[in-house]
Amino acid sequence: MALAALDRVSFTYASASQPGLTEATVALDPGELVAVLGPSGSGKSTLLRSLAGLVPHFHGGRFSGRATVVGRDTRAARPAELAGDVATVFQDPEDQVVMTVVRNEVAFGLENVATPSGEIWGRVEEALAAVGASRLAARRTTELSGGELQRVCLAAALALRPRLLLLDEPTSQLDPDGAEAFLRTASSLGCAVVLSEQRVARALDFARRVLYLEDGRIVLDAPTAAAREWLLEHRPAYAGAMAVVDSGNAPSDAVVMIENAWFSYGDVSVLDGTSLAVHRGEIVTLEGPNGSGKSTLAKLAAGLLEPQRGLVRRVGRAGYLSQDPGRYLACERVDDEVALGVGGDRDSALAALDRFGLAWAAERHPRDLSSGERERLGIAAVAVGEPDLLVLDEPTRGVDPERKAELAAWIVRYAAAGHAVLIATHDPTFPAHRRISLGGRVTEARVAA
Amino acid sequence: MTASAAAVLLAGLAAAALLAERVASVAVLAVLLLLVCLRADSPLRRVYLAGAILPGLTLFLIWPLLGAEGYHVLWSGPQVPVLGTLDVTVEELGGAALNALRLIAVGLAFTAYALLLDHDRLLASASFARRSALAVALATRLVPTLQRDAEGLVEALRGRGVAVEGLAGHARLLSPLVAGSLERAVNLAEAMEARGFGRATVTRAPRPPWRRVDRLGVGTAVALVLAGFLWL
Repeated sequence: MALAALDRVSFTYASASQPGLTEATVALDPGELVAVLGPSGSGKSTLLRSLAGLVPHFHGGRFSGRATVVGRDTRAARPAELAGDVATVFQDPEDQVVMTVVRNEVAFGLENVATPSGEIWGRVEEALAAVGASRLAARRTTELSGGELQRVCLAAALALRPRLLLLDEPTSQLDPDGAEAFLRTASSLGCAVVLSEQRVARALDFARRVLYLEDGRIVLDAPTAAAREWLLEHRPAYAGAMAVVDSGNAPSDAVVMIENAWFSYGDVSVLDGTSLAVHRGEIVTLEGPNGSGKSTLAKLAAGLLEPQRGLVRRVGRAGYLSQDPGRYLACERVDDEVALGVGGDRDSALAALDRFGLAWAAERHPRDLSSGERERLGIAAVAVGEPDLLVLDEPTRGVDPERKAELAAWIVRYAAAGHAVLIATHDPTFPAHRRISLGGRVTEARVAA
Repeated sequence: MTASAAAVLLAGLAAAALLAERVASVAVLAVLLLLVCLRADSPLRRVYLAGAILPGLTLFLIWPLLGAEGYHVLWSGPQVPVLGTLDVTVEELGGAALNALRLIAVGLAFTAYALLLDHDRLLASASFARRSALAVALATRLVPTLQRDAEGLVEALRGRGVAVEGLAGHARLLSPLVAGSLERAVNLAEAMEARGFGRATVTRAPRPPWRRVDRLGVGTAVALVLAGFLWL
């Protein structure tokens, strides 16, 4: 008997005109790991919410069909009643942490599902150890990095010993090694795991089965090997195809030169004598594990930070796109948001929105847009001023492969037009002329097209 | 020491500082609290210490100028409308030092509470009001989250070449910060429901029993309040 099943489930959010999920039918067996792929807004999160009972109970809206999870119909059982048998790790760890100290955070769910008191601390320790976070037990949740918080959230889910674990882009803030360790832990639990991921290659490495969604419909439900072939043929961006840089695009004069830069946060040194130059026409990526100084070096280049020792020389104007730009929107209208960077020039703003496929949303409120659209709005708001140096901090985080390929193609064109581009990223497939690896010894590799 | 015993001890130290009448006594209590605060290994320690000490120093500077007590004039200043003569007496300096140290001691007690105590456990000890305690815990978490969001927003705007300066510039941040907080609140509510919050039957992780050090801490707090009232 299936552990969980959706039988022709359709759901339309209360504020939406189109269904988020249409006629979804799927059955999950105990212990299997299923990857859920698809573009932003395709219904991946809605599928996971259906399995957690959050749809329809938390979100409201129109629900039809039947969802059965661990033998209970979700129309009758509320999400809180399913908790314990079902555990969910959401995309943004900061939006799901309740308590101020890590061990209490992991204990929160155990207390809610009435775990016997005598077992709670033992299970907390066990779960933290499973995700390699034992040393964080006494730390305050407000002082942890995004990656550390994601591990704590996984520990909080594991502590429940769920039969069904739902992971909604759970590795978005982890470096490649951290993401791999996270997924290895999740796949070794013995419970059924449903994993929604935009880092497709890694998800396919761990999954036994793949669901591919588009426009709220399950387009593909196949074993991983067959899914790889299907993706290669029908959705090549999901199979790893990416724009390449033009080797004939010879970089010219430097737009930014960082010489022997030192920077530390309190007692923690992140840059010690680092040097970097980025030239016009050039794309340079900064890679390395969490905490290796990628963002700090990017901010030095953009002029948002000053080195504590060393020198930064910049020619022309720099623009900087922060991590998670969709969260940092300041205006009431989309066109005003973009015009902010060019002194209110609405014509330039509309042209930039058009370039990023958002002209239709010019008069909308930025927070009415989907997460993927907000990401593009953030890029449009920085790119509208056509800065000589464009600095992007993790621009592909949470972005689906097709949007990522579009972004990569745009960046290649932007650099070819004589601008310099510096990208801090965990994504080793992003097109670049040079890749600089931080963390430990700084190494540099020139990329052949 | 348990969180509740530590909270009682900190409250006792702050109350003793408020009740004490001698500058030296309050200074000793303030130094004691400062040493406790310095044990905190937090990136926010400097901010909290500045918040605890600077208002006290400001009070010390303003008090003698605005006060009108004592006969031993050290400095006589000009006549200012409404405020009167700006002069400084020995008695005013003593009063300024006493009240500034009281303010600093209370600020340091709060700093120690904020940086060193396990608020979750402290609030959980209010077993009769678990939901209210949780609301307080969430509100406690909101402050650093809002601070980070504000910093992120300023950074995002600077990255687009938009300077955030002055009252008007910072006022512009208010609306997006509130909107962002509401989004976070909805997401958090969803996550809490998915984690079983609201079920009829709950249990509690066992709390450490009170030991001798906890009883000693509470006893010391009571003794400090009495001493502050009677002798210090």
